Amino acid sequence: MNGRPPDLIAEFDEAERLLGAIRSTRDAGIRGLEIYAPYPMADVANLLGYRTTVLWVAAVAAAIVGAGGTFYLQFWMNGIDYPLNVGGRPLGSWPALVPASLIVGILVPAAATLIGMLMLCGLPRLHHPVFDVPGFERASEDRFFLLIDGREVEKEPARILALLGQHGPLAIREVPS
Amino acid sequence: MARTRSTASRPADQVARIPLRSEFGITWKLALAAAGALTLLLAGALGHLFVAGVGVWGNSVPFVWGFDLTNYVWWIGIANGTSLFAAILVLRRHSLRTSINRFAEALALFAVICAGLFPIIHLGRPFLFYWLFPYPPTFQVWPQFRSPLTWDFWAISTHVIVTSLLWYVGLIPDLATLRDRAQAGIRKRLYAVFALGWRGSVRHWAYHQRAHRLVAVLVLPLVVVMQSAVAFEFASTLVPDWHNTRQPLHFVVTGLASGLATVHLATVGLTAALRLDRYITPKDIDLTAKLMLVSVLVVGYVYAGEVLVGLLAGDTSAIPSAMRMSGGYAPMFWVAVAATCVVPQILWWRRWRRNVAVALLAGLSVLAGVWLDRLSIVAGGIQREYLPAMWDRTYVPTGNEWALLVGTLGLLMALFLLFARYLPVVSMFEARHEEAEGEMP
Repeated sequence: MNGRPPDLIAEFDEAERLLGAIRSTRDAGIRGLEIYAPYPMADVANLLGYRTTVLWVAAVAAAIVGAGGTFYLQFWMNGIDYPLNVGGRPLGSWPALVPASLIVGILVPAAATLIGMLMLCGLPRLHHPVFDVPGFERASEDRFFLLIDGREVEKEPARILALLGQHGPLAIREVPS
Repeated sequence: MARTRSTASRPADQVARIPLRSEFGITWKLALAAAGALTLLLAGALGHLFVAGVGVWGNSVPFVWGFDLTNYVWWIGIANGTSLFAAILVLRRHSLRTSINRFAEALALFAVICAGLFPIIHLGRPFLFYWLFPYPPTFQVWPQFRSPLTWDFWAISTHVIVTSLLWYVGLIPDLATLRDRAQAGIRKRLYAVFALGWRGSVRHWAYHQRAHRLVAVLVLPLVVVMQSAVAFEFASTLVPDWHNTRQPLHFVVTGLASGLATVHLATVGLTAALRLDRYITPKDIDLTAKLMLVSVLVVGYVYAGEVLVGLLAGDTSAIPSAMRMSGGYAPMFWVAVAATCVVPQILWWRRWRRNVAVALLAGLSVLAGVWLDRLSIVAGGIQREYLPAMWDRTYVPTGNEWALLVGTLGLLMALFLLFARYLPVVSMFEARHEEAEGEMP
């Protein structure tokens, strides 16, 4: 497809072998790795330097916006835009506005975190080239896959194949494009 | 190439096979038929209510609140208790989370759906419930935000949205596993659509885990604020027995006990029905029983505090407290205390904790006790009107109200049975994770 060289994907049956392969490809200065695993691998995420701080920041910002916005909205609607006199009680009686502000101050960050997580992952997505790799369905069960960007592979294919081969992959394939 | 699957070595295999079975046995069908019949009863009762109006209930002065609020507060307690439990498991990274978290979250979601029905249907015109939302209407009046009714609206909708998002996001990787394992067909397609294209990239896993834990952190204040908002609705009225700062604590603590009782019942039931003993061990059941025991001890402490503080306070507080313990609804109060605090004490003995019948009985006793507690607060609180001529009245629920209570129980059961049939009740990726970490030196 538009002249982009195909990605290379190696299949492993043990987490240890995958870790070895990641270390040696990284030591060899190869970029553009993508790892697929059947469960969260925090050590691999650390090794590859994935940062998730953005989710925290988004949650805190969303909490402030949600709580502050709800408080102001209630105050503005009942006190300014359409002053509502209920038994002569003060228009700006803020304590009554607190429960809803707190609750929406939880709703907005929760929704922002979970929906933002999907957006950061590029999901939902109907299809992805790796699904065409034979045997990839076991990435959700017990197999580990290491994908190397085709543009990296193109530079020195023989060396990369040799590097991966040292760690006993079950198979090395090109990702069909 | 066809692969031969060596099932023995596959982690989480037993769990994955459950939703993919083509046949599920006669017991499940019978249970679903019973739960479905109750759900139909609920639909019928709701239809009758919508057509005839709330006059079909036993509410009348002084009982402006009755079964509607009793059931609402009871269901909300269960929802909050199960949510809180699930969130704490995630945050503590406790080994129980693998086995119990998924269905505890599901129970919380189904309970909050049942709870959310009642505030809507107890409105005189339930089809106008959306007036609580601040949309710009043509008649240009905004909702009255200083009214506790609007707190309820935000609390319930937030709980429904957050619980369902948390549960669904936790499910995505397992839906991907089911998608990859299912035979081609409509079911595979459905799993594929709901798996959203999850492919298990380590980068995605990192975001997924972070987001799941973050939202679990948010659930902690949510359940406390929400249960307190419900309690404030009582406390902000002028009914002497309700107008009290002890309400939030009482509702949070008893709600947690009922939530833990529900989790315990579901754990025992699922283990027996689905043969998940590899993932839900007797040790887990022992732990949920102990948790329930601890929570009812706290309930006992709160009851004792209420009696003491209620009776020592001035007349305005002491008289309604004394009425609750000796008035027309006193039997319910004392049965509630006995069923919630005394009966579960049998769980101090390991022998009884491991006994399925006793475990079920203790759980049901806590649930019934908390329900009676809600009824004794709602009906017992407003029985003493300001005019002595009104004092001898008793709240008499009608058939429609009983149908709503039994119907929501059926709805919860039906949703839970469908969940147990079509989705993994135990987190498969957590099970794989645990087994992988167990193997590593």
